[in-house]
Amino acid sequence: MHELGILNALVHIIEGIVRDENLTEVEKIVIEVGELSGVVPRYIEECYPAAVYKTFMEKTALELIVVPGIVKCRGCGLVFNAAANDLHCPGCSGQDLEILGGNDMIVSEIVCR
Amino acid sequence: MDEFKVLQVKKSVFADNDRRAEALRQTLKKHRVFLLNLMSSPGAGKTTLLSRTIETLGNQLKIGVMEADIDSDVDARTIESFGAKVIQLHTGGMCHLDADMTRQGLEALGTDDLELAILENVGNLVCPAEFDTGAVKNAMILSVPEGDDKPLKYPLMFSVCDLVLINLFDVLPYFDFDMKKCVTNIRLRNPKAKIIPVCARTGEGIDLWCDWLCSEISAWRGQ
Repeated sequence: MHELGILNALVHIIEGIVRDENLTEVEKIVIEVGELSGVVPRYIEECYPAAVYKTFMEKTALELIVVPGIVKCRGCGLVFNAAANDLHCPGCSGQDLEILGGNDMIVSEIVCR
Repeated sequence: MDEFKVLQVKKSVFADNDRRAEALRQTLKKHRVFLLNLMSSPGAGKTTLLSRTIETLGNQLKIGVMEADIDSDVDARTIESFGAKVIQLHTGGMCHLDADMTRQGLEALGTDDLELAILENVGNLVCPAEFDTGAVKNAMILSVPEGDDKPLKYPLMFSVCDLVLINLFDVLPYFDFDMKKCVTNIRLRNPKAKIIPVCARTGEGIDLWCDWLCSEISAWRGQ
């Protein structure tokens, strides 16, 4: 359900771009999903057909790129992949982490005419 | 027919909502209506806390409440019985409110005669945290039975809140809830969040919460 709400926001964003750029057709959109964004890529794929049903994006393909969640330990300064280490610093086991990337969901590219 | 081309967009999916939220904040500022977004799990005590808040501050502040739920109007009826202006918003299955839904809700509620508008968001620790509603401040309630590890499990919710109320602290003896550990866990996600233990049912700590609310409102008015 959470992913469906996010996809509705996505359809609105693309709608705005189509209007601003005077596009006639959107063949594919490329979306970057950060591992720390709280968005589950598999659910995005499953909800996508429902979100674009009866919209101008009904035939638009979706490509997802998962962006690794990279964090820096505030304790020892180590930079590491948060998801692979279960949000614990592999150096000092600290959990006080600064997010450096992979916490957003971004429309990266659209293939259109 | 034209060839397909690739447009580099690099725009956050939340960008439109963030823009709408900022616009709503500006409008509310102009009308001097302070909007608080109150979030929690279902059953953590949002409605009980609001009832107490209206009892305590109802004479000093003109308060309006927007109750957002997937269905029913039981919360709105409860709040109404405490004498505040209230509107029930049905999200129709959606698990959160975004800035545009909040704006529509405020319009339906009518803010001309209000000084404080409170949005009781849908009970959920995931989605409401992701969408900026246009509120001046975000607060959340964590109730003792939910456990002291919630800030670790739902990090985003705790990182977007200015205030965390730990509700039902009177039942602490009956649960494996370590208050110290909970505060440490909240601090890991949000070093700046203010933390106030309350018991909405008995009224303990409500004065501290109302003091926080009033001082935030006067600081915002002075800006």
